[in-house]
Amino acid sequence: MDEKKFLTDMEDLLELDPGTLDCATELESTERWDSLAFVSFLAVADSNYGVNVAPKELQQCKTVGDLMQLLSK
Amino acid sequence: MAIAKIEGVRVSGIASAVPDTLRPVADFDETFGAEDVRRISQSTGVERRGVAAPELCCSDLCYAAAKRLLEDLNWDPATVDGLIFVSQSFDFSSIPATSCILQMRLGLPKSCAAIDIALGCSGYVYGLWVAAGMITGGGLRRVLLLAGDVSRATSPSDRSTALLFGDAGSATAVEKDSAGSPFVFQLGTDGSGWMNLVVPVGGQSSRHPRDSTTCVRKQAEANNFRSPEELFMDGAEIFAFTLREVPSLVSGVLATAGWNKEEIDYFVFHQANKFMLTHLAKRMKLPLQKVPFSLKEYGNTSSASIPLTINSELGDIISTQPLKMLMAGFGVGYSWGACTTILGPMVAPPIILVNKSEAWLC
Repeated sequence: MDEKKFLTDMEDLLELDPGTLDCATELESTERWDSLAFVSFLAVADSNYGVNVAPKELQQCKTVGDLMQLLSK
Repeated sequence: MAIAKIEGVRVSGIASAVPDTLRPVADFDETFGAEDVRRISQSTGVERRGVAAPELCCSDLCYAAAKRLLEDLNWDPATVDGLIFVSQSFDFSSIPATSCILQMRLGLPKSCAAIDIALGCSGYVYGLWVAAGMITGGGLRRVLLLAGDVSRATSPSDRSTALLFGDAGSATAVEKDSAGSPFVFQLGTDGSGWMNLVVPVGGQSSRHPRDSTTCVRKQAEANNFRSPEELFMDGAEIFAFTLREVPSLVSGVLATAGWNKEEIDYFVFHQANKFMLTHLAKRMKLPLQKVPFSLKEYGNTSSASIPLTINSELGDIISTQPLKMLMAGFGVGYSWGACTTILGPMVAPPIILVNKSEAWLC
C-alpha cells in the first residue's frame, strides 16, 4: 500500500489541506469524520483499492492508520 | 429462482404526482446549520422535495396520477380488472387495504381484483412483475399499478433522513398485448438487513407496539435525535449492501434478456441518493447521460422514484419513441429487483401537482 497516496485520498475525502494527516491522526480530531465521510470512505475503498469494507469494521477504526489497515487486509 | 421472462403484456402509460408543496432543503439551515445542509445536499443530490400536507395520503397522490392516466389513455374505468397499490404508507394503519379504497374512488368495477404490496425502494419492479403475472397467468386484461410513499415517519432532527425523502405517487397502466415486448425480471431478498432501514415501533399488532414513551425523541448517534416511532437508516450499511448486490443484479437481468449494456437507452434506478447512484454507475461502467436523475427536484421518492424519473426526465422522448430500458430498485428489506423491456411510445404526461384540497374526505 502506497501510504502517501492513501493519505492524499483521505485528505481529499475529509476536505483537508495536503500534508495535514499522518497515520497517527485520531479520526475524532478531524472535523469531517461523520456518516457522510463513512460512505465516502466505502466508495473510495471500492473504487481506488478494490476492497469491500464492512461498515461495522469501519466504526471500530480510531486512527487514519487503522483505516489503512482495513484496506491492506 | 426469481428470474422470469414474461411475454404478452405492455405498459401503455405512466403518470406521476407530487404534492404542490415542494420545499427547499434550506428549510433545515436553522436546525442543522447551512454548511451541513449544503454538504448533505451535495452528497444526496436533493435540493427540493415534495412534502405532503398532513391531509394528504400517498393514495391521494396515486389517485391523481391514476385519474389523469385513465383520461389520457381514454380507458373506461369499467375495463380495469386489476389494481395493485405498492406502498409503505397506507390510508389506515392496517385495516382495510388501501387498494380496496382506491378501487371505489377510481370507480373501478366490482369484478376488479385489488391487492396491496408493502414494499419500498424495490416496490415498483415487484409491482410490474405482479401486474405482468396477473395478466399472463391470472386472467386479467388491464391492471393499474399504483406505487408511492408519503414519508412522514422521518425525524426533522435526524440529518440522515430529514432532507432525503420526498412524497410522490404514480400510476402505470399495464395491459394484455400479444405483440408486447418481453419483460425480463430478476428479483431478490435478504431479510438479514431488516434493521438497517426500519421504523422500530408502531401499529397495534406490531412486534413493538407504541406506548407512552415511544414517541419521545432521544439523541441517537452524533447530533441526530429520533424516537423509536421514526425511521432509522444506517446509510453506510445500505451503501455496502447496494455495492454487494446491484452490479450482479444488473448484469444478471441483462444476461437473461440477452442484451448488452451498450444497447440500453436508459438505466432508470431507484433514486436512492446521487452519491450512491453515481458510484454504482461508475463501478458498472454505465455512461452517466444514460442514468437519469429526478432526485434534485423531488428527493428519494421510494417506490414512485422509477416512474417519477420516467415522467420528469424522459416524458417527451418516451411519448414518441420506443426505448430499451433497464429499471432497478433496491433497498428497504433488503429487497431488490430489476427489469428490462422496451417501453414507449406511451402516454407519459408531465408531473402532476396535487393540492391538499384533493385529499379524500371520509
